[in-house]
Amino acid sequence: MIRLTWRQFRVQAAVVFGGLAVVAVLLAVTGPHLVHLYDSTVATCQAHGDCSTVTNAFLANDSTLRTWLNILLIVIPGLIGIFWGAPLVAREIETGTYRLAWTQSVTRTRWLAVKLGAIGLATMAVAGLLSLMVTWWSSPLDRAHVDPFGTFDQRDIVVIGYAAFAFALGVTAGLLIRRTVPAMATTLVGFAAVRVAFTFWVRPHLMTPVTHTLALDPANMGYGSSNGGPATLQPNPPDIPNAWVYSTQIVDKAGHALTPSFLASTCPQLSVPGPAGGGPSLRGASHLPVPSGAQQVLQDCVTKVGATFHEAVVYQPGSRYWAFQGYELAIYLGAALILGGVCFWWLRRRIT
Amino acid sequence: MLRLTWRQFRTQAAVAFGAVAAVAVVLAITGPRVVNFYDALVAPCAVHADCGVATSAFLNKYHFLQGALNAVVLVLPALIGIFWGAPLVARELEAGTYRLAWTQTVTRWRWLGVKVGVLGLSSLALAGVFSLMVTWWSSPFDRVNANRFTPAMFGERGITPVGYAALAFALGLSAGVVIRRTLPAMAATLAAFIGARLAATYWVRPNLSAPLRAVSGFQLDSGTGGLPHSGDWVISSQTINAAGKVIGDNGGIGPSGNVGFDVGRDGAITFQGVGLCPNKVPASAVGNPSPSSVQAAFQECAHKLGIREILHYQPAGRYWALQWYETAIFVGLALMLVGFSFWWIRGRRRPGLPG
Repeated sequence: MIRLTWRQFRVQAAVVFGGLAVVAVLLAVTGPHLVHLYDSTVATCQAHGDCSTVTNAFLANDSTLRTWLNILLIVIPGLIGIFWGAPLVAREIETGTYRLAWTQSVTRTRWLAVKLGAIGLATMAVAGLLSLMVTWWSSPLDRAHVDPFGTFDQRDIVVIGYAAFAFALGVTAGLLIRRTVPAMATTLVGFAAVRVAFTFWVRPHLMTPVTHTLALDPANMGYGSSNGGPATLQPNPPDIPNAWVYSTQIVDKAGHALTPSFLASTCPQLSVPGPAGGGPSLRGASHLPVPSGAQQVLQDCVTKVGATFHEAVVYQPGSRYWAFQGYELAIYLGAALILGGVCFWWLRRRIT
Repeated sequence: MLRLTWRQFRTQAAVAFGAVAAVAVVLAITGPRVVNFYDALVAPCAVHADCGVATSAFLNKYHFLQGALNAVVLVLPALIGIFWGAPLVARELEAGTYRLAWTQTVTRWRWLGVKVGVLGLSSLALAGVFSLMVTWWSSPFDRVNANRFTPAMFGERGITPVGYAALAFALGLSAGVVIRRTLPAMAATLAAFIGARLAATYWVRPNLSAPLRAVSGFQLDSGTGGLPHSGDWVISSQTINAAGKVIGDNGGIGPSGNVGFDVGRDGAITFQGVGLCPNKVPASAVGNPSPSSVQAAFQECAHKLGIREILHYQPAGRYWALQWYETAIFVGLALMLVGFSFWWIRGRRRPGLPG
């Protein structure tokens, strides 16, 4: 049975592992140079006291290659699910070869178990190796970026979970739909939908975020309106290394946000819009420098508001990175196991 | 024959055009809001002289939808090639149904002609309609970004997706005809299409039309010297010294585009990577440097040393010409591949194919 699985799988395995070898050579050639550059520029920038310029210059290195590697890590699990998972059973059913395969001395449960086990492990090996290589290669760039949650799903161990899930989803779709091409299309849509939904709606709730409160700081404060709303104080997000910041707000002790009407009654001088008075009338993601003429007015206002209000930063600390990786990997692996169980059940009960 | 083709294709067509209709509804609802936001946030920003903040606030609108739409336009042609092109003939050959299909009154060429015509034109229509919708919806964002020439953006707007879809479909068709098995044909289509797109983006596109060349004096705050205009596509920006030797890239000295000066105690300036400046920082600014006077001294130094910049760029006005060139190349390649497929199934006796 293992021999049959290997005979049916060896071309695909050769193509994929050959591709991995090519990527490995490419990364082995360019990687040490990046490490050397990091050590000679960014690592020593503290001494020169000019880290942002040096860091930006360093990040420009191999930025195209980094982008493509990130894209590769996002699509590889999906491709494995489509090309290895979906046809696994669907092709046997579609071409009728299951009649021969399932009437041998090997039971159909064992047949599926060997196929799922061997190719499933190969899937996880491919994803794991690729992620390991890219994580190693881009570690100097990632360290300079200081945003591990920005590349969360393209590094480390979660990629293995995605690949296992995509593969199991493909096998299940093939078993239920029983036709190869529709099963492949279904796998693609299903996997993309799960990944997007998980990233935006599940991952932020995996752990309760930490709320960090700090007194209002006039030096770190802008004034303006966001998205056409009423003008109010706009705190600059504090610099928490490696953190995943959800929001930065001004709230009172009960947790209520600062209202524009409260602000207007506390600091009547502030509410004059335009360059002459309060300051810029719009705000994006970044800190707004307040014109020096209005600096004193703002400073007084922040002091007055700070008597009852404080700044609340909701975030996940960088130390939770590996916990997030572990949870997400466990959830995807669990989903893959459940789908595998569905496959066995369906194969025994529903397919004659 | 048309009826048969339609019967075989209707599920796929329903799925694809149903999805496009759903996206169209979403875009029709959100599109006018995007225009409203643009009018409220970005249009008046010139009055407040605070456009950086306004535009970044605007670009955060529908952040998720922007990313998702760009991703779909990017992958749609490949999906068409994989799921419509590759199985078209390969499945008939693999499943043996070609024996029935090709022994009817309809000739093999006519059979293929109708199939390629219906599915190929549907592919072009799908990619075209989708790209048109996204181009319309994103136009306020694109106006703010002014980056229509970035490698990704150029292939996700306008008419280029139609050319990509044509080539992907033709690649799938010919891969299926030659390989004669669905799955390997699908994988080969994906690999070949990605290869063609990368080659076109990084090697062909910059040379589609000879880039313009401009030489100007070195500007410290590059980008304000008149060139490149907003929306131009800068292919290379090199810094040369008085002797004409290239001493830097990306508008700076050295490969990374950095510019640095060291000011000594006596006001002497060293231009990092170039040498000692003939002028000095004015004595009044030493010890109490005011940025503008120091800046002016740096600028004067670069001027006196004869540092210049050479810019190779495509002006923004060539956008549509380049779009047409690239689309024409992809459609031309697609036509050649379709012709090859016809020749391959008709031209020779092959084992497994009836003569």
